[in-house]
Amino acid sequence: MQLTIITDLNKCVGCKSCQVSCKEHNTAGAFGPVPDTNPYRDPDGMWWNRIVGMETGEYPNAGVLYLPKACMHCYDAPCVPVCPTGASYKRQDNGVVLVDYDSCIGCQLCMWACPYGVREFDEEHGVVKKCTMCVDRLEDESLPDYERQPACVQSCPTHARTFGDLDDPESKVSQLVAQRQGFGLLPELGARPAVHYLPRRPATVVIDEKDVLRVMEDRY
Amino acid sequence: MRPTTPLLLITVLQGLSGGITLAVAAFSFLLPPASDNVLRNALLLSFAIAVIGGISSFFHMHRPQAGKYILRRLQTSWLSREALTTGLYAMILGVVALGPLVLPINSWWYWVGGVFASLAALAAMFVTAMLYATIPAMRSWHSPLTVLSMMAVGLSSGGYVMLAILGLSHLTSSVHRLAIFMLLATIVVAGIKLLQWKLFRDARRSLNAATGTGMPRAPYRIIDTGTTRPPYQTQTQVWPDLPLSVRGGLETVAVLTLVLLPLGVIVATLGGTGVGLLTVLGAISFLIGTFVERWLFFGDATHSSKVWFVDQEKVGSRVATNRLSPALVRRFRNL
Repeated sequence: MQLTIITDLNKCVGCKSCQVSCKEHNTAGAFGPVPDTNPYRDPDGMWWNRIVGMETGEYPNAGVLYLPKACMHCYDAPCVPVCPTGASYKRQDNGVVLVDYDSCIGCQLCMWACPYGVREFDEEHGVVKKCTMCVDRLEDESLPDYERQPACVQSCPTHARTFGDLDDPESKVSQLVAQRQGFGLLPELGARPAVHYLPRRPATVVIDEKDVLRVMEDRY
Repeated sequence: MRPTTPLLLITVLQGLSGGITLAVAAFSFLLPPASDNVLRNALLLSFAIAVIGGISSFFHMHRPQAGKYILRRLQTSWLSREALTTGLYAMILGVVALGPLVLPINSWWYWVGGVFASLAALAAMFVTAMLYATIPAMRSWHSPLTVLSMMAVGLSSGGYVMLAILGLSHLTSSVHRLAIFMLLATIVVAGIKLLQWKLFRDARRSLNAATGTGMPRAPYRIIDTGTTRPPYQTQTQVWPDLPLSVRGGLETVAVLTLVLLPLGVIVATLGGTGVGLLTVLGAISFLIGTFVERWLFFGDATHSSKVWFVDQEKVGSRVATNRLSPALVRRFRNL
């Protein structure tokens, strides 16, 4: 089993609700806190999920792309073998990559090894922290079924994120990846990320000559 | 990445100590027995340096209480192996260096002990260098040049310190022998560093926002890194691009202190100029150069996640600013 999250880049509107809900849940969750060391002076504390905003293409065919980026829970997670104490590990039963804070010495070598920059160093506790796929929610049997999924998936208002088992060919995530050419980031670095993205379908640009000329006349 | 003092000290001092130990082993064959004192002092200095490096490594661990688990991943982790090999080196060097203080020792102690300690030093230095060279995400380091560079610079720094020790002991013939070797070593170091800096530049240029998405419709320009600024505080593997003036300035200092000044000292020494203070000057210069190049090694390294974090090249959005290029204006006028 390899749990994963698939993000449809056509649906993501960059609202950052997943970023905020991740922080909200995990600050109080079993693997937290996700601290802000100096929140009043430095609002950029620790985030396990960051939404990167990019401008794409060239004018007039420009657009904006939002890329939610958290731990990729890679099949060949490079952060795991480099860890000298075994604090970074990949669970055999569900493929989630986790950090055992009790064994972590805070050397940060896993942060260098991770190609995606999704591990964060907690100076206060001296350990490296990261997305846990909300494994504490997934395995909390006291929660109703609809809440037993990662906070970022549950909070997404556009349903851009889908959660499931990538190793199960019948699962929704597997079918989405197969049918819509799901891709992982930086494949050339060989980490085989489990988290995939569904590429944006090119939108038809409905701008005709009249529109261009009108705008050009107005402005120039 | 963010350079930290413990990392600088560990890597520089380990190389320095290893270089001195190797020089002692080599010179125990060549120096007359009367020079046992020189060898003993050199080994003691090497051991002291190794101890300081070892102590500084504890400051790199933010949770030393978990340090007892550090040998768990010897099969896969170069950091586990580094802890083992560097620890073994320090222990062997301790016995070899401190033995003459408590035991009646003959000259054979230095070459037998020196050879054992040198082998341990080479293993430790190799493992430390491999720790950096085997991280594919660190685009600037993922190369055999990293191993060559760390070993060449480390051993040469020890060689220059040994040269200074011999010079202060007025062992002129030994100084000349080592000086010839250091001349060649310095030229090798210069070549390797130039190649490595080229690799750093290539790594920096090869990464941009387009490579971070894996999608067509380039170019991509980062407009938001997820928070109001890149996470330099919580992610030490990314670091703002060094300004050109800073990088150029530090590289100039490194070339001057790591290559040109030591070469001048070597040439003057071989020319018969007084060897004492001159060799000390050469050693100090090379050490300064070693720290500068090692700072650049960390501070100028490019990590693959830079594509999402670090300030992109400042190309303003023509959509947002309404600043169309004249060529585009002409193109639309002709539609």
